[in-house]
Amino acid sequence: MKLTIKNWTGVATWRWVANDDNCGICRMPFDGCCPDCKLPGDDCPLVWGQCSHCFHMHCIVKWLQSQPVNQQCPMCRQPWKFNNK
Amino acid sequence: MAQNFNPFVEQVPENVKQAESSKKVSNDNHAVTKRLHKELMTLMMSEDKSISAFPEGDNLFKWVGTIMGPKDTVYESLKYKLSLQFPNSYPYAAPVVKFITPCFHPNVDTSGNICLDILKEKWSALYDVRTILLSIQALLGEPNTRSPLNTTAADKWKKKEEYKKLVLESYKEV
Amino acid sequence: MNNQNLDLKSAWITIKEAFPILESPSKIPDNDFDSAPFEAISIIKRLNLTQQIQDLVIIKIEERLRKEIVPDFWSHFKKTENEAAVFHEFYSVVKFLFHNYVQLDLIINKLILLREASNFTKPVYNQTCLHEALKLIVRAVLLSQLPIDHEWMIVNFYETALKMQDPEEENSTSGECVVCMQEEFSCSCREMFEETNKKLGKMTLLEPLVGQALTDLIYSYIQTHIQKICKDNFDNSHIESLEKWLQTVVISWLKKIYFHNSAVKAMDEFDKKLINYLYNTYTKIRIDQLFNIIIEYPDSLPALDDLRLCLPKTDLKPHLTRSLQKAIETRLLHPGVSTFDVLTAYVATIRSLRILDPCGLLLETITQPVHQYLRSREDTIRCVVGSLTEEGPNDLAEELVRGEAVQVDENISVDEGVEDWETWTPDPVDVVPSKSSGLPRTSDIISMLVNVYGSKELFVNEYRTLLADRLLSQYSCDTEKEIRYLELLKLRFGDSQLHFCEVMLKDIADSKRINQHIQQDLSYSDDDIPMSAMILSAQFWPAFKDEKLELHEKLVKQMESYTGAFETLKGSRTLCWKNHLGIVDLEIELADRTLNLSVSPVHATILMHFQDQNTWSLEALSKVMHVPSTILRRKLSFWQSHGIITEPEPDVFYLQEEQENNENNIQDDIVVEDFESESAMASAQDQREEELQTFWSYILGMLMNLDTLPLERIHQMLKMFAFQGPTIECNLQELKVFLDRKVREHQLIYSNGLYRLPK
Repeated sequence: MKLTIKNWTGVATWRWVANDDNCGICRMPFDGCCPDCKLPGDDCPLVWGQCSHCFHMHCIVKWLQSQPVNQQCPMCRQPWKFNNK
Repeated sequence: MAQNFNPFVEQVPENVKQAESSKKVSNDNHAVTKRLHKELMTLMMSEDKSISAFPEGDNLFKWVGTIMGPKDTVYESLKYKLSLQFPNSYPYAAPVVKFITPCFHPNVDTSGNICLDILKEKWSALYDVRTILLSIQALLGEPNTRSPLNTTAADKWKKKEEYKKLVLESYKEV
Repeated sequence: MNNQNLDLKSAWITIKEAFPILESPSKIPDNDFDSAPFEAISIIKRLNLTQQIQDLVIIKIEERLRKEIVPDFWSHFKKTENEAAVFHEFYSVVKFLFHNYVQLDLIINKLILLREASNFTKPVYNQTCLHEALKLIVRAVLLSQLPIDHEWMIVNFYETALKMQDPEEENSTSGECVVCMQEEFSCSCREMFEETNKKLGKMTLLEPLVGQALTDLIYSYIQTHIQKICKDNFDNSHIESLEKWLQTVVISWLKKIYFHNSAVKAMDEFDKKLINYLYNTYTKIRIDQLFNIIIEYPDSLPALDDLRLCLPKTDLKPHLTRSLQKAIETRLLHPGVSTFDVLTAYVATIRSLRILDPCGLLLETITQPVHQYLRSREDTIRCVVGSLTEEGPNDLAEELVRGEAVQVDENISVDEGVEDWETWTPDPVDVVPSKSSGLPRTSDIISMLVNVYGSKELFVNEYRTLLADRLLSQYSCDTEKEIRYLELLKLRFGDSQLHFCEVMLKDIADSKRINQHIQQDLSYSDDDIPMSAMILSAQFWPAFKDEKLELHEKLVKQMESYTGAFETLKGSRTLCWKNHLGIVDLEIELADRTLNLSVSPVHATILMHFQDQNTWSLEALSKVMHVPSTILRRKLSFWQSHGIITEPEPDVFYLQEEQENNENNIQDDIVVEDFESESAMASAQDQREEELQTFWSYILGMLMNLDTLPLERIHQMLKMFAFQGPTIECNLQELKVFLDRKVREHQLIYSNGLYRLPK
């Protein structure tokens, strides 16, 4: 028997590579989107701080906006800096 | 930080009006509602029965919390009720938490206001109702006598017997 | 004295000459009249015996009638076989009667002369005119001797007459008279008929003798005619033609009969009665056929329109409601009918009833039991959602599209109710309102379908599951079409609940793009196995059933390569493969044939293993693939049915290059195993228990913080906070039962109408 696979269509779910399942700020899953968004993934991405904690981009931005001075990571309270990979 | 109410003014219960206005607000604040619902569910499912909270009446933004005094403290087996008022910007701003049950404690004043860092400058969006209640519960056993709201309590803290008497005197089950 | 006696005797003779009937009742001379009476009259007048003589004559007349004429008349009414004979018999019998009547009338004439001469005006039998008195007498005597079976002859006579003039009767076209079988122009049957009626009319015997029989005859004639016309025939409106027929055929015929009857007013009333009867009969027949009419909608539209017009003219609405309900119960709502058919019939019912009864009351009453029944069928939602989005023209999809307009109207009509008060009419009284008449009466079909469940969430959830099935089972799905349907559903159900479906569709579209990018990625090669993937956002798809499967190592390598390419494309993201899902296109070259199939990954993996090694034991294969033996055996049977794998010994499988006996049917079906959503769904009972447990936690939380609450508050708060998502709510009754149980178990305390926790 000669078996030829003409095409294999698999099914996979994507997920963010993060050390947690839920965003600490909005409590929604990372693989979903933040409460203000409708579409996950590229439209509602994750960001990491230099302290290596990660959140939904929109969530952390709102957090930083609510803190006029001393912008800190909500998790560890270190000064927040976006980790641009 | 957006706060809707002056925390030092007694709030007259106007359930209907509040419910209406807060319903309108909650329509604009879909995200907050979602989060509060989630928190409620987590709380209901939690094993720890020494702390609890539930929305009061129709308003999702106002809750009543319950804390049991921690073991091996003067507050042991006392049940304290608190009110929690959530702003529209929750969790980016802290909720306003006050004691309803009179509580004799260095960091609690006669109106029930609480002096706790996480409720003010040390607030983080990662905190939630559970962590707040746990912190307050812990505070009962470990007050911060250096910046007291109730100086009498701060002074008497070292004298356990007398302290306990004052606690029990002021305690009124609501 | 003698003179006077002589006078009396001769006077009596004279009188008898004038009135021969006094002598003997049977004596009636053929020619009579003229001279004799005047002398007798003057004698009578002189003797002052007017009344007596008159009475005597009348008694004799009565005697004659009673003893001779009437029995003779009735004696002819014996049953015979010959129809033609009956017709003529009746004619001659009536002729005979009339002849006698005329003779008696002549006597009456004489009596009238007597009375005039004597100025005697006392009424006889309450009649001032003696002619009328005679008619009365004849009638009375006739009817007093009525035999039991007198009607048949009359009925026969008129039936035959009716046939004579019925334009639809067969014989009339062939030019023959139905009665005597002669040429129509040469027979005198018609004249005979007319003459008979005339005579009966003159004797005022039409109504008493013939009336009842005629009425019955006419009624049954109308009924037969209507039944003939509308039996199984729904395409035409018959009302006009029926009315015309009634006028031209029936009523005009009746008018001819009654032409000589002075009671014209009675004829008018009879007219109205007939028209009413016509409507009633027609309506009743249509009502009996209503179920079939509904099923054949819209072909049966004319019949429906007819019914709608007729219904207000009759009192038959309750009858309609009952009859239709019964028909639906016995013919539709039973296990022999597939859910799809029930739904189709349901939609047809709604549409038909919309036409029949625009105000919606009937619709509500009828559809209630249908709702209940549909709820009891498990696959209703699936059917509905499936047909909503099916290919090709179908009713439900039409309704969906049409529904946009309807929804807008609905909103308007609620407000318009106030403005329209001048033209507002109350609901018709004769339909029994159903229990749920408090709900807004919407004839919008989609809403009604959802209302079957009372929950949009359940509905939308099922749609989501169906959509997931559809998307994953065909790689090349028509996203455009799906998006269009989704838009329509969104208009109906609101954005938020369907936005999961949007994400699902976007996933499919994005997957195509990602596949393209990865193919173009130079560092990625798929020479071994051409691979593509459907990349899903797990949070938005229904839960997948978790089936264990370890893929062949060639594939694992390919997948890792693909994953790597994906990670490069989308930084910080990775893939989590669902091994058992997907579609594999295979080409299998065997010694004697080549097969092209699309199969599931499990099947493909099995074959790949058999390519490495052509004999496997069930146990070994199960270990390698990480699939439990029972499941594996089922999957192997697929290849067995294609004749590629055989089982020479129990639990040992062998790859077969050549097909032995052509006993296996080669199925070229596409076998794709769909996942079942709501994986490993717990039984409804277990789910309920779990839900109740959740509620209990909430109730505990409530009471712990808010101390005491009445039942309604607890329910309200549960509604607000605990009933999230497509779980079925708990109603007040159920809650009470639950709480009372907790009270019995000492987990709650109930006092003064409030619940609280024990200390």
